[in-house]
Amino acid sequence: MRTAAELKFGEKVIINDVDTEHPSSRRIMEIGFTPGQEIELINISAFNDPMAFSVRGTIIALRRNEAHCIKIM
Amino acid sequence: MYKNYVDTSADTFPLITLVGPPNSGKTTLFNYLSGKKLKTVNYPGSTVDYSVCRIQEKYNINANLLDSPGIISLIPGSPDEQVAVSSLYAHPKFGVPDIVITTIDASQLSRHLLLTKQLLESGFRVVVVLTMTDILKKKGLQVSASRLKAELNAPVFVVDGRTGEGIPQLMNKIGKLLKKDQLNTDRKISAITEKKDFLKFYGEIEKIENKVLVPDPDKKKIAKANRKLRILTDPSAKKDCYKIDSTTVKIDKYLLNKNWGLFFFFIIMSLTFSSIFWLAQPLMNLVDSFFGMMNVMFSGLLGTTWYSDLISNGLISGTGAVLVFVPQIAMLFLILGLLEDSGYLARGAMLVDKPLSRIGLNGKSFVPMLSGFACAIPAMMAARTIPNRKERLLTIFILPLMSCSARLPVYALLIAFIIPPENSFAGGVVLASIYLFGIISSILIAGLINKFRDKIIKAEDNSSFILELPAYRLPKMKVVVHNAFISTKLYLRKAGPIILAFSLIIWLLTYFPNYNPEIDAKDLSKVEYVKLQETERLSGSYAAMLGKFIQPVMEPIGMDWRVGVSLISAFAAREVFVSSLALIFKVTDDDDTHLQNSIISAMRNARVESSGEKLFTTATIAGLIVFFIFALQCISTIAVSRKETGGWRIPVLQVVIFTSLAFCMTFITVNGLRFIGIQ
Repeated sequence: MRTAAELKFGEKVIINDVDTEHPSSRRIMEIGFTPGQEIELINISAFNDPMAFSVRGTIIALRRNEAHCIKIM
Repeated sequence: MYKNYVDTSADTFPLITLVGPPNSGKTTLFNYLSGKKLKTVNYPGSTVDYSVCRIQEKYNINANLLDSPGIISLIPGSPDEQVAVSSLYAHPKFGVPDIVITTIDASQLSRHLLLTKQLLESGFRVVVVLTMTDILKKKGLQVSASRLKAELNAPVFVVDGRTGEGIPQLMNKIGKLLKKDQLNTDRKISAITEKKDFLKFYGEIEKIENKVLVPDPDKKKIAKANRKLRILTDPSAKKDCYKIDSTTVKIDKYLLNKNWGLFFFFIIMSLTFSSIFWLAQPLMNLVDSFFGMMNVMFSGLLGTTWYSDLISNGLISGTGAVLVFVPQIAMLFLILGLLEDSGYLARGAMLVDKPLSRIGLNGKSFVPMLSGFACAIPAMMAARTIPNRKERLLTIFILPLMSCSARLPVYALLIAFIIPPENSFAGGVVLASIYLFGIISSILIAGLINKFRDKIIKAEDNSSFILELPAYRLPKMKVVVHNAFISTKLYLRKAGPIILAFSLIIWLLTYFPNYNPEIDAKDLSKVEYVKLQETERLSGSYAAMLGKFIQPVMEPIGMDWRVGVSLISAFAAREVFVSSLALIFKVTDDDDTHLQNSIISAMRNARVESSGEKLFTTATIAGLIVFFIFALQCISTIAVSRKETGGWRIPVLQVVIFTSLAFCMTFITVNGLRFIGIQ
């Protein structure tokens, strides 16, 4: 299954699941990344990390390894 | 702010606590209700401690109001969130809140409802305040307050953060609620940790969101659509609510560009630091000539008596030498304020996250590091936003290397010695390079400590970087200027008395006990007589006696005891170094109406007593600058470091490492420059 870390610019996808193995997963869900939500990759910082996604009307920056726990359809 | 803002004597009054997610307009609401003007910043986590004060008299409610750091849920993820959650459940002084006001950014409804729902389920008496409805209105939507009230079973008010509209109604309701007794006072923690339950919880929130989001009536009129408010069942309309600010996305295409982002970052940072110098120059000249004139006037008026010397040297030169640089400090606060208010700070944090995480820091270390250029004390408190303990401690460790505003007067004087003040552009470049040198050193030291971190900093947990990037906005000039003014005033109030007191102490040390030396007055003109008298007086003074102890330490770094005494007095406050130089080298000899020029010409004429060589040369001035970059000469910083790290281990290491490093680096600079032929 693909993860948010593999998204391309401008690609809008729906979150399928959030991997709770990752210690940051609780905060990722609390901040708005929940299954069923649409996300879009907005920016990737210099050095390819962190990445910024739009979710629920705001922009959230996450590290690449944290974006990996957001599974997409 | 320098410390907790706690302004209340009576704790028998009811307590109203303000909680809300970061950037939801919480501090703006606090300012309205309290009549205070705490700083609001466009960066998540700008409030890191609670502040308490009384509700403004005009609302006629006798209650304490507590503002707490922003949280997105009741399970804290970092020390600043821990402060908020603990003060909510049991504040050590004020106990459990009677009413909790929670702010919700209407354009972030579903995300911000999470906290409100948790608060309600935990048994708090909650009043909901909807903010930023204007942003939602631009998307053609509004939140139906009456429906939200019915869904949550809690009072809901719409408040306009710019005009204060809606606050009287809110306060009216709070007044009524306070008259009623609370039904129960035990609070549980509604913190769902199981993923399945959590998603169900969020599902309920989305149902509420669907019910309360309605089309904006203004837009409806134009569209001449349904006359009655209808439930928003049309999924495309809900999508409008989730649209992000397109201007922000456009700006970020450049500022967060993969290739150019760092370039813009360096441009913005170097402009910030070099402009401090050239923007403040005209104002500095004004203050400078004012003190120069005062000095000439008083010494002319009072002649060569001891009280004339006390007033013109001890008071005017001593304090004036530092006050000359206040415009620069004000400019620093102003520019940092502009950056904070624009929304760029979160981007800066994102850009440097990767390189900083390599050396054991975090992107979130960026904002504490930047505010460290104003003062290390609020900066160490701002480090609370870093969730990972190890990264937070390492950030606190290197913060004293950020050149704080107290060092500005020292640098500015030393730079003026090498570069004439007319050339303020070159001065700005040198100043920016000093800042850069401080940053690079701090990075090297952080990397080095990170290598041995298991020995120095003991902590290990998940390293994470999750940060909301707020929409850009034009800085509100009025607010930014006001805040810069307040910060400068606070700076003066805090540093002023210390500078004044130490000016007097140093004057006493340099004037006594040999205040009236016997000199053979034959064949001497009046001017020569006074000069010789001053030299004799100083060489027999208490300061000189003290200086003999320091002399052996100062010689290897090319200084003498006079600089040594100034360096020691700088431990009271770094700026005192400048007053001390002004006093020891007697700047009132000539009639120059510019105080700064007098100090510099006195410094140019100073000679090492044993060899007769010039004391201040390019090499020794560069050495002094290096000393000030590294040395930790601030007692308040040591105290805050102890408090924030929870022990003496880190502050003691900081003092030992940074002060010995300062000495070694100065030694290398002075002798290295001399070795390559620069005197």
